[in-house]
Amino acid sequence: MSFYELIAQNKELFRIFYSLIIGLICFIIVLKTHRLFKLSDHQGIRYFRNAFFFYGLAFASRYFLLFISSPFLKIAFEFFLIMGGFSLIYSLLWKRLDGKKINISSLLNFRILIFYLFAIIIAYLDFIWQIYYFMFFSQIIVFIVASIISYDNFNKNKNKNNFLKFYFISMILSLMAWILNFIACYFFNWRLRWVGGVYILNVIVFVLFLYGVIKVIKKS
Amino acid sequence: MMGKKRERLEVIKDILEAIMKNREIKPTRLLYASNLSPQMFKGYVHELMSKEFIKLNIDNKDKKTFSLTDKGQEFLQEYRVIENFIDNFGL
Repeated sequence: MSFYELIAQNKELFRIFYSLIIGLICFIIVLKTHRLFKLSDHQGIRYFRNAFFFYGLAFASRYFLLFISSPFLKIAFEFFLIMGGFSLIYSLLWKRLDGKKINISSLLNFRILIFYLFAIIIAYLDFIWQIYYFMFFSQIIVFIVASIISYDNFNKNKNKNNFLKFYFISMILSLMAWILNFIACYFFNWRLRWVGGVYILNVIVFVLFLYGVIKVIKKS
Repeated sequence: MMGKKRERLEVIKDILEAIMKNREIKPTRLLYASNLSPQMFKGYVHELMSKEFIKLNIDNKDKKTFSLTDKGQEFLQEYRVIENFIDNFGL
C-alpha cells in the first residue's frame, strides 16, 4: 500500500490527528506566553498569545466540524483563523499604532473590534458563497505584511539576531502555507496530494512557532 | 550625549533591583535610584504596588520603606526571559 493510499483510506483519522496536534501546539504556546504576559503586561506578548488562542479555537472548531456539520461552526472556524492572523500581525504592529498606551482588555478594544468586524464579514461572505477566497486573500495579505515587518526587524537589528531571521522564515512559510491552501482549493479542488502538502506545511509552521517559543524561553 | 530612552520594563527592572539591593529602601532614595521625574516615579510605584511587586512598610515611628514581594522577585528572575522574548520575536 502506498503512502497516499494509506492517507486516502484514513482521511478522517489524519484530519482528527491534524486538528488535535495543532490545537495542542497552540495550547502550549498560549500557556507559555500567558505567564510572561501576566508578569510583564507587555502588549506585544499579549497579542502574540491571543493569536495562538484564536488559532487554538479555530482548530478546536475544526475538530468538532469533523463530527458535527454546523453552519455556525464553519463560520466560527474561519472567524477564529482570520482573527489568529490579525492578532499575530498586530503583535508586530502595536508599537507603531498604539505607542505606549496599554489597553485594559486585549479582546475588547476599539482596534480589535474592527478586526472582529472584518473577520465576521470575511467569514460570512465565504459562508454565503460557499468559498474560502475572502479568507485566503485576507490571510495572504496579512502574512505578506508580517513577512515584510519581520524582515525589517531583522534588518534593523544591529546584532543581526539569528532568531529574527528564523522568525522571518517562519512568516514566509506561513505565507507559503496560505498560498498553497489557495492553489489546492482553486486549481485542484482539494485534491488529496495537495491537501496533504497543505497539512504538512501547516504542521511545520506551527511546530516552528512552538520551537521558537520554547527555545527563547529556555535560552534565557 | 543623551542615553537611549528606557523602555517601561527596563524602568520596572531598575526600580525592583534598587529595592532588592537595599532589601528595604526609603521612597526618596528609591526616587533618586530610579532616575525618574517625581510624577513618573509616582506612577510606576503605584503600578508596582497594585501588581503586588513591591509593598510599602510603615513602622511605628511612621518611617516608610519599600520592600520586594515574592512576585517582584519572580519578575526579576524572569526579566531576562521576557526581554529576550520581546527582542527575538520583534514584539
